[in-house]
This record gives sequence, structure tokens and C-alpha cells, in this order.
Amino acid sequence: MANTTKKSGIGKHIISFAFMIALTIAAFYLVINNVVSKGWILPLILILAVIQVILQLFTFMHLDQKGSNYYTFFMIVGIFVAVISAIGIIVM
Amino acid sequence: MSAQTETTTKDAPLHLETATFEGKNKVLGFWLFLGAETVLFACLFGTYLALRHQTLPGQPTGKELFDLNLVALATAFLLTSSLTSVLAMHYMNQQRKGLMQLWLGITVLLGLAFLVLEIYEFVHYVHEGHTFMSSAFGSSFYALVGTHGAHVTFGIVWISTLMLQAARRGITKETAPKLFVSSLYWHFIDVVWVFIFTLVYLLGKVG
Repeated sequence: MANTTKKSGIGKHIISFAFMIALTIAAFYLVINNVVSKGWILPLILILAVIQVILQLFTFMHLDQKGSNYYTFFMIVGIFVAVISAIGIIVM
Repeated sequence: MSAQTETTTKDAPLHLETATFEGKNKVLGFWLFLGAETVLFACLFGTYLALRHQTLPGQPTGKELFDLNLVALATAFLLTSSLTSVLAMHYMNQQRKGLMQLWLGITVLLGLAFLVLEIYEFVHYVHEGHTFMSSAFGSSFYALVGTHGAHVTFGIVWISTLMLQAARRGITKETAPKLFVSSLYWHFIDVVWVFIFTLVYLLGKVG
């Protein structure tokens, strides 16, 4: 019983890692091979990056575990202020 | 004391990092810090994105400078080090010190490899005429990527010294929260890098 939970713990991380590698390769592939038009490339690679970061936060950084509500709240507030700041600077 | 911890390790997946009140507070406080770090990097990203085309005639642009092969290699190093760091935490919670130290050691080595690549890259850029002082593009580029590189450097020193402490004191309720928090920091560095390779290098190549 204990052994299976331990294995699934590592297994989850390996699968998550494989997804991250795939997302990274996809982003590089899109840019190197000019697959999509110039207007679409930024939103596409940005979406790939956001998915990868969500994977990092919820698997590697354990936000999926119980009792992570405050951690998630801090990050959401941080991201909220961060996005406003970044867009504000760019638009300014 | 030690006999008690030995018996409990096999029962359930322990979370040694939050076993004490101090440990819990350490992790909570660290997430607050990471939220603030997010804002810091967002401001640097915003500045870079606003200024990335501001070069003088004749100065190299991002499109000419950036080498995606090098960036892909650096990304591979940092992404893999994020996995090795999480494996180290897995073995920490199983009280397997040897395996934890092994994976932490690999994490540090991958971090060093990343740093060597970045230094090589910066030196190359300076020879090409892309410096901190050359243009607004240069200033904002080095401010953003350099701040990230400084974080990697600090992470390497931090994790190495914690490895020394763990070697002396073992995996205890005092050392575990420190190791866990340093691993969170390391993952966060990787999170920032994901946005750097996307918004600086890939977007730079697009133009």
C-alpha cells in the first residue's frame, strides 16, 4: 500500500515533466518553423507557457495538495498585481 | 525520539516540512514571498517588452543576437533540474538522505551548467556590441535575464549550503522545512525561465 503511493508520487512528477518538455518543444517548433502567422504566434506560445507554469505550480510545487489554499491565494494575488503591473508598463 | 521517527516513516507519506508550527509558517511565508517575486519579475518583463525594439541604427537586435539552440539547451538544464529537485523532496519525506543528497547534487550541477551557458551567452553578446549601456533594449534585457541569473546563483549557493547542513544534522523537523522551501524557490526560478524563453527569446526571434 505504502509502496504504491510512493511510486505514484514519482510517476505523477515524471508525467508532468514529460508534458512540460512537450509544451517547450511545441513552443520552439512553432517559432522555428513559422507554422502560424505572426499575429497568432504570441498568444499561442504564451498559452503554452501558462499551461507549463500551471503544471509546475500544481505538481512540482505541490499546490494540488490539501491545505494549500493560503499558498494558492498568495500566488493568485501576486499574479493579479503582476499582470496589471506588466500590462500597465507595456501600455504606458 | 529517533526510534519514533523511524517507525512513522514507513506508515504514511509524511510531510516533514510542515510537521512543526515553525515549518508551517516558513512555507506559508515563503509563498507570500513568491507572490511578491512574481510582481518583481512582471515589472521587469513589462519593461523589457516595452523597450525591446529600442536600439540605435547599426546595433544588433534580438533577432540577430539570440541563438535558439543555446536557449533550448539552457531550458533543458533548468527544466530537468526542477524535476531532480522534486525527486529530492520526495526522498526527503521518505527519510532517505543518500538519495535526497544525490538528487540535490544533480540539481545544483544542472543549475551550474545553466549559469555557465548564460555567462557564455552574455560574454558573446558584449562582443557583439549588446551591453547593459548600449541601448534601452540592452538595459531592459540584462535587467530581466540578469535578475533571473542572480536568482539561479543564489539558489545554487542556498541549496549547496543546505546540503552541507543536511549532511551534518540529517533530515529533521528543522532542516526539512528549509530544504522544502529552497526547492519551492528553485521551481519558481524555472517558472520565471519559462516566461523568459517564451517572451524574450522566442518572441525575439519572431521579431
